[in-house]
Amino acid sequence: MLKPRRHWLYLAPAALIMAVFGVGLVQVVLYSFRSDGGLFGNFADILARPDYVDLFVRTIRIAALTTGFCILIGYPVAYVIARAQRARNLLLILVMLPWMVSIVVRTYGWIVILGNRGTLNTLLMSTGLTSSPIRMLFNEIGVVIGLVHVFSPFMVISILSTFLMVDEVFEEASMSLGAGPLETFWRVILPLTAPGLIAGCAIVFLLSSGAVVTPHLLGGPRTTMVATQIYQDVFQSFNFPKASAMALFLLLLVMVVLWPLGRLERHLGRHLRQADAQQ
Amino acid sequence: MKMGGLLIRVWVAACLIFLAAPIVVVIFSSFSASGYLRFPPQELSLRWYAEFLSSEAWLKPLAVSFVLALCVAVITTAVSGLAAVAISRRRFLGRGAFGFVVMAPLLFPHAAIGVALLGALAIPGWVGTLQGIFLAHAILCLPFAYRPLINALRGFDPSMEEAAMSLGASPSFVVRHVTLPILKPAIVTSLIFTFIISFDEVTVTVFLIGPKAGTLPTQIFTTIQESASPVIAAVSSFLVMLTVGVVFLLDRLVGLQFFSELERSR
Amino acid sequence: MSHDLGSGVQGTVLKATGVSKRFGNALAVQPLDLEVQRGEFLTLLGPSGCGKTTLLRMIAGFETASEGTISIEGRDLTHTPPYRRGLGMVFQSLALFPHLSVSENVAFGLKVRRQDMATIRREVADALELVGLPHVAERAVHQLSGGQRQRIALARAIVTKPPILLLDEPLSALDLKLRRQMQTELKHLQRRLGTTFIFVTHDQEEAITMSDRIAVMRQGRIEQIAAPDVIYRQPATAFVAAFVGENNIFDAEVETVAGAHRVRVPALDHAFPTPAVTQAGPLSVAIRPEDISLQLGRPSGEALAGRIRERTFLGSNVRYVVEVASAQVHVDALAASGAGAIEVGEAVTLTIPISRMNVLTRQSDLQ
Repeated sequence: MLKPRRHWLYLAPAALIMAVFGVGLVQVVLYSFRSDGGLFGNFADILARPDYVDLFVRTIRIAALTTGFCILIGYPVAYVIARAQRARNLLLILVMLPWMVSIVVRTYGWIVILGNRGTLNTLLMSTGLTSSPIRMLFNEIGVVIGLVHVFSPFMVISILSTFLMVDEVFEEASMSLGAGPLETFWRVILPLTAPGLIAGCAIVFLLSSGAVVTPHLLGGPRTTMVATQIYQDVFQSFNFPKASAMALFLLLLVMVVLWPLGRLERHLGRHLRQADAQQ
Repeated sequence: MKMGGLLIRVWVAACLIFLAAPIVVVIFSSFSASGYLRFPPQELSLRWYAEFLSSEAWLKPLAVSFVLALCVAVITTAVSGLAAVAISRRRFLGRGAFGFVVMAPLLFPHAAIGVALLGALAIPGWVGTLQGIFLAHAILCLPFAYRPLINALRGFDPSMEEAAMSLGASPSFVVRHVTLPILKPAIVTSLIFTFIISFDEVTVTVFLIGPKAGTLPTQIFTTIQESASPVIAAVSSFLVMLTVGVVFLLDRLVGLQFFSELERSR
Repeated sequence: MSHDLGSGVQGTVLKATGVSKRFGNALAVQPLDLEVQRGEFLTLLGPSGCGKTTLLRMIAGFETASEGTISIEGRDLTHTPPYRRGLGMVFQSLALFPHLSVSENVAFGLKVRRQDMATIRREVADALELVGLPHVAERAVHQLSGGQRQRIALARAIVTKPPILLLDEPLSALDLKLRRQMQTELKHLQRRLGTTFIFVTHDQEEAITMSDRIAVMRQGRIEQIAAPDVIYRQPATAFVAAFVGENNIFDAEVETVAGAHRVRVPALDHAFPTPAVTQAGPLSVAIRPEDISLQLGRPSGEALAGRIRERTFLGSNVRYVVEVASAQVHVDALAASGAGAIEVGEAVTLTIPISRMNVLTRQSDLQ
């Protein structure tokens, strides 16, 4: 095997690029301590405002709901793709194409569909199901729909990758031992694919709590999330130190959720890795 | 497993319709003749495409996005390729840590990355410049380039290179005629993925744009907030077409298995 | 051809002198000497980790010897990179290039040597003909069967007519039947080409059927290097006796009774008269199962008495496990003979011919 002689030369470009990110993180920490009210002024301000408690609760609620709906979409779709024979490529494309279309474009599509004079309300009113338009834009419903659409493909991919490692033989073995389809799912398939499911939850929660564009466009001024608040702090109040403090709170929030998920994923994944090593 | 097979299929079909819906709606409304957004459109026309393709306000961000994505794709693929070679073929202190650092952007919420990069790029005064946005996109794309490349390199049979050498090929010949061709699927995957990620990126980019440098997606983002003109639909449809083209290209060049490849090394 | 330059039919083609390989603190190959004759089929045989592959890779040039020199056809190549050694090699994974077609794979070495297209086309066709696969030339590698891949890897390695072909367990991926068939083909090919083959394997049966000489390796050392029948009949060490073929191996000691030497085997509670024993220190004796003969009934006099514990029908042979004193002795008998029809539980007499018994220096940890 050919080996690079000066490996640090090979690493240097990537290290330089990542150093920019590292400097940025340091900047965030440094700026977050800059305020008129002492070293922890920004943090104290944020913690003291009752509307920011709502903001964090809303962010967690929206991210959690998004994650839940993504499971409802992701798990069955991944299962069908993994077990499909001829249609697999077609199904993959149907999931992947929307995934690769820019977030703004997709969010824009939801504005067209969900607006008061949008496609869905026009359809509902013309069939007589409702007489006045249902408000689906500029509230949490719209934000969750948009985020689920944007991030559910991540869940599909994550679950699909574990499904591809789980041989159909396990299902057959379970059923040969007398377990019905539901019991097979509950006792064999779900435990084996749980690592992918957990990983998918982690990705979706991370991405939806950090999303700016979709909540900003579909949530309107009142349905803010931590990420959109950061964006507004930077571009409307030009308060970079406060935005930095908010970003640190966001990181903390994500870490608190992701760390146990990561532990759980590794714990659940040990069987699969062992089975993989045996082959 | 026949777990209520029909029920699952109906649900999956509904999910796929949900995934396709906003895109289909955007494409249809882009052909609308009226001046406001309506689906389905009453009358068909191409006037919004004409407006898109004749407007400096749209063509410039399009050019910026295209050139930017091209540079990001080529450079991040090369950069992560070099790093992946060192990490997969040499043992050194901090090897595992380095692999982790390259993947780190995946662990941060985008809003936090946006603020961090704004803070970093403010130091040399690169906020709102192309080189600033380039660096931001390179950071975001690095994990997506690194993953397929490191996977391919870890799965690389070292006796391929040895076989070529035993047949008399010099190391540089081996790299050109054996190593790179065998890694081609991973390289193509990396190029196309980083291109599309850079071309589509908004969340982090909106923190970094200035009056001089805006990308096509950020231009759409700002325009949506100002008006609901169907020209946005035309621009969006153009982006969809581009994506379809890229996915088609990927399928033809490397097949769709790269899809699961993306998740494998996590 | 001038014989004095060593390029004739006879003579040494490879000479390794005091070659060793150190990985960190571990000595993978102890300093050893090896001479390989032109046209010879030499097998490096041993368990995994014995250093056989490291030795082969030093010859190929993929590892540099820590000490000693390797010369091929009289040229010192110890520090020559692999691509300037002009040897052929077949890899365990075969390493057929997936991005090239079959004929492009075979042509690789010729293209590297900047041969003209006509020569390349002719040589590739000849090589494919030689391995009996002219019809797969335009196929992709992944379309080939296991046996076909094997042959293409071989064709690719021999098309440049190397003086030595190195083979690193190339048959290990094949199933048993195909493996036997490829062993014969490989042997025929080697005879036809007259090329020197250095073949690495951990399969002793493979080594015995194919080789002119076998070098049995263990812990980085060559334990014995000899023709297969010598290795089988006169193992130089207890390890060789245990590793090659089946053997009953027991601890033994020399005793002198009334001026005559005898080898005492405590486990069998028996002493064998023997010619002079040259080995010093603790001893082992090795007896092959097929060298022991069985008779029904209790022995008279000095012979060994035993009882059949297990009987396994193996086709032409029957394998018995016979309990003798505190030991279990494996004995093979022809199934068609009277000795092949003894039932489990019966008392038997064992006869061990002294001439077939090997007295060896004891080695611990034989596998």
